[in-house]
Amino acid sequence: MDFVQNFPCFSVILCLFAGILSSGLKDKAAMRVNTCLLGIVTLLSGATLLYTLQTGQSFVYVMGKFPAPWGNEIRAGVLEALTALFFCVIMLLSLLGGRHKLLEEVESGKTYLYYVLTDLLLSSLLALVYTNDMFTAYVFVEINTISACGLIMIRQNGRTIEAAVRYMIMSLLGSGLLLLGLCMLYDLTGHLLMSNMKESVARLAATGQYEIPLIVAIVLISVGICIKSALFPFHAWLPDAYGYSTVSSAAILSSLVSKGYIFLLIKIIYRVIGFDIYGDTRIIDVLFAFGLMGMIFGSLSAIKENDVRRMIAYSSVAQIGYIYMGFGMGTEAGMTASVFHILSHAATKSLLFIAAIGLTDVSGGSRKFIELTGAGYRNKWAGAAFTVGSLSMVGMPLFSGFISKLLFAQAAVQNHVKMLPALIVLGVSTILNAIYFMKTVIRIYTPVGYSAYPSITFVKMRVYAVTLVAFILLNVILGISSQPVVDMIRQGLAMFS
Amino acid sequence: MYLILLSIFVPMAAGLCLLILPEKNIVRARLLSAVSMAYLLTAVLVTAALTRCYDVSYTLFHLTASLPVCFHIDETGVLFAVLTLIVFLCAGFFSFAYMKHEKKEKRYYGFYLIVFGVLNALCFAGNLITFYLFFEILTLTSMPLVLHNGSREAIMAGLKYLFYSLCGAYMALFGIYFIWKNSSTLAFTAGGVLHMTTGGNISGPNSLPGAAAGGNTAILLIAACACLLGFGVKAGMFPMHAWLPAAHPVAPAPASAALSAVIVKAGVLAVVRVVYYIFGPDFLRGSWVQTAWLTLTLLTVFMGSMLAYREPVLKKRLAYSTVSQLSYILFGLAVMNVTAVTGGLLHVLAHGFIKAVLFLVAGAIICTTGRTRVEELRGIGKEMPLTMWCYTIASLGLIGIPPTGGFISKWYLATGSLQSNTPAFAGIGPVFRWLGPVVLLVSALLTAGYLLPLTIHGFLPGADYDYAHLQKREPSPWMTVPIVILTVLSVLLGLFPNLLTDRIMGFVSTLM
Amino acid sequence: MGPNLFINYGEAVAMLLFGIGFGNLLLQSNLIKKIIGLNIMDTAVYLFLAEKGYIAGRVAPIVADGVQDMEAYINPIPSGLVLTGIVVSVSVSALMLALTIRLYRRYHTLDLDEISRQLKKEGL
Repeated sequence: MDFVQNFPCFSVILCLFAGILSSGLKDKAAMRVNTCLLGIVTLLSGATLLYTLQTGQSFVYVMGKFPAPWGNEIRAGVLEALTALFFCVIMLLSLLGGRHKLLEEVESGKTYLYYVLTDLLLSSLLALVYTNDMFTAYVFVEINTISACGLIMIRQNGRTIEAAVRYMIMSLLGSGLLLLGLCMLYDLTGHLLMSNMKESVARLAATGQYEIPLIVAIVLISVGICIKSALFPFHAWLPDAYGYSTVSSAAILSSLVSKGYIFLLIKIIYRVIGFDIYGDTRIIDVLFAFGLMGMIFGSLSAIKENDVRRMIAYSSVAQIGYIYMGFGMGTEAGMTASVFHILSHAATKSLLFIAAIGLTDVSGGSRKFIELTGAGYRNKWAGAAFTVGSLSMVGMPLFSGFISKLLFAQAAVQNHVKMLPALIVLGVSTILNAIYFMKTVIRIYTPVGYSAYPSITFVKMRVYAVTLVAFILLNVILGISSQPVVDMIRQGLAMFS
Repeated sequence: MYLILLSIFVPMAAGLCLLILPEKNIVRARLLSAVSMAYLLTAVLVTAALTRCYDVSYTLFHLTASLPVCFHIDETGVLFAVLTLIVFLCAGFFSFAYMKHEKKEKRYYGFYLIVFGVLNALCFAGNLITFYLFFEILTLTSMPLVLHNGSREAIMAGLKYLFYSLCGAYMALFGIYFIWKNSSTLAFTAGGVLHMTTGGNISGPNSLPGAAAGGNTAILLIAACACLLGFGVKAGMFPMHAWLPAAHPVAPAPASAALSAVIVKAGVLAVVRVVYYIFGPDFLRGSWVQTAWLTLTLLTVFMGSMLAYREPVLKKRLAYSTVSQLSYILFGLAVMNVTAVTGGLLHVLAHGFIKAVLFLVAGAIICTTGRTRVEELRGIGKEMPLTMWCYTIASLGLIGIPPTGGFISKWYLATGSLQSNTPAFAGIGPVFRWLGPVVLLVSALLTAGYLLPLTIHGFLPGADYDYAHLQKREPSPWMTVPIVILTVLSVLLGLFPNLLTDRIMGFVSTLM
Repeated sequence: MGPNLFINYGEAVAMLLFGIGFGNLLLQSNLIKKIIGLNIMDTAVYLFLAEKGYIAGRVAPIVADGVQDMEAYINPIPSGLVLTGIVVSVSVSALMLALTIRLYRRYHTLDLDEISRQLKKEGL
């Protein structure tokens, strides 16, 4: 066994320990520990990715020398390592970009708590990505929920606490359903390790025994995860949570937390239930329909919004709809498109949130559109970054959004039944996206004769500007040289089951 | 082959530098000399690229494994690139005098140079995906030219332009997906790429086997229709022409000239590429797509002229005229025989020069007198004789009176239409044979009706004109010289057409 | 299905309780009642799990009297899962209660809809 194979386990445990350690440290020290941790985990994930690309297959890591089916397992392949790497990079950039706002909005002496929460969140995300055991997945889902709730309410004003309560309520509904489905599945198969469960499920599906309980269990798990990842119509908590929390939290929540759950759903589909059996239950048609509706309603709600951060939050609802539409195609190409969109959306949405905060800072802290007029001239970096993010969302070639749309359309034309609704809704939603994003871009670049607000230069916000440049580069790299990433995703999905 | 890249990216880089430099310490003279140098440098680079890199293909990078971004200069590209170069230079020098009256000059020149670079890229694009990429960028970068003066009307016009263009681009993309699925390459090949289908499509294990082009004809026709409508938005074809009369008048005059003369030709170039280099005329000839296209273009020709005839504001009148004239070109392309297509491409050049003259004259008038409506312009010919003579000559060209360039192109268009033996689709084909020339003739009369009144009332204002207060207000040489150059070119096109027509007919017959 | 429901009455009751808890969590506007609903829902799942682990005629999985035969004990795994679940349930309940206290101190009401109304008036 190579040393590299220990890395996934190391990543998770390092994050947990860093969290525990940070709870006793002061603010600055906790921040440094957090940044170091993210750097180390990025390197570990990168090494794992290279290793899995080299060997060309995924490896199973047994926890504590207890073999299956009694022990716990971690499994890492190309897709897991790629996702873990991406999550680490996005989290690092989001935390760096929002650092100055964190120091402003949270009482000093309490910021170390924020870093504890982000460490725990990272550990739960990595565990969700790597785990091969269902109940471990559930436990880390709960840790994810609790950390995310903490992230929302770290900024103490009435809005965030109410948003946190609403978030917890919806999330716990989803967790309850997930747990119930999980228990039923355990009851039917007698295993908790995903590989063993898959064999049992295949046997059950073949013999037709316990057909209805199996379908019920699958439906409960799917609905549970859909509620947690804010698929339409379960998205009501999203705008408040993303719109009012501190900007690093908004970026992390929108890019990573919901995507962690979607990744878990992909894992369950491939590794517990089996792609074909899942397709037979016809629940993917329901996911497809809700995905399409989410795409339209999310964009329509965004157009009506007057607050720029809530507008970006509603745009997230639409983008999550895209991902579920990709699921709903029921083909490999659709899954590839969804996974690429997870990565692309993570990069773009965090960019948009971090750029938006720069723009609102030079508009007196107000988020109404009127106040944002001309903000692109007052804070040039944020304006340029926001423009790049918007163009990517609209689907301009050269940015990652175009490749996502291309992959979705490619997947759509393969499935004759769902092709036309998918393409039409893709088109309509692109135009709707263009309406509210381009409107904002034009407004921030409309010159204002005299502005009451000061401008900001590079010197005052070095870290912020560097973060924005890194995000833009990430987006453009995904847009221009997407082929290696798409190949890795395809390879990863092939070795996923 | 680096000349190609340089001719595209040097003006874009120059424009970007201008945009990024801070506003404060700009000396106007230095700004103008920097911009002139940028123009001349680009002109040299483009000429060099056209002469030395002809028929050279160059791949820049790969967007995905099967979608390279590549450049390739061929005859069509040469035609459009020459037009772009001449009009942009003339309008560029005109704007030195005109923009003295407008604010924020630096921003204008910045975007003007960027658009110049993007247009070069469009002319040199070697495959459909490169073309689409730069088409989208063109929309985004020409929008600031439209909303330059920042008034509410300008911003609304800019937004309208943006949304129409994005809708059009998305429709075209819809068509491009299907083309990609049914061909092995998206590179521009004379005669089309569809017959080169490999019989399969490009993606993974769940693809449908054996999808040959024959079985998908219906879908490909719909894709063709989508592409035509989508790219037709940029070329102002009914029903998506409404942005043109809103956007062109509101932009500063040299920008209007550039928009009407060149940027909408990007839409025409798109249609040429899609119909002749991707689908191939054999695929579309005789189908319902061709019939629909012919109908829409003739409708636009007539409608544009009618709307221009009734419009009181000069620049808006010229914008409606652009709508109408562009559909002349599209009509020629739709007939799909050698003569008509030659007529269409000649009209690209002729209309480019003529419309540039018309808009620049309108700009000169606004600059010196501040008047925008035609009825206010009695006696203008006495005040600005040289400018108005150029306007008159250009108008004669647009109407189609020999020996101007407009006459040659309309002659070819009419002859082509009469000659066409379009295989009848549902028996409608033969109708267009005579309907085309009839509509063109009616439209020519209307063109005379909306262009000549300015000349007539300008030179012969009537008895009640105040001759005592007449003052000679010829605009500065920066303005008059470009106007004269373009007028002379449009006349030369008519006097010595054979060189050009023979070349164009030569390569058009390879496309059939 | 009819007779099965009576034979597996434990699981049936668990499902009923789950429904009650879920409905309360979703539909009640009073925060404390929501938290109670949350607890009922989670407890119902534990009941379900415990029922699933039980095998009639056997004892709890603690080795007694040296009997090491697998056949003498019930399935130990669900019990472990229930313990983990209880820990999770306690943590989230504590978190929700802490949030409720904060909200109450700010807005002096336990009604979530009322709090939303007051927030709209504040216009943050």
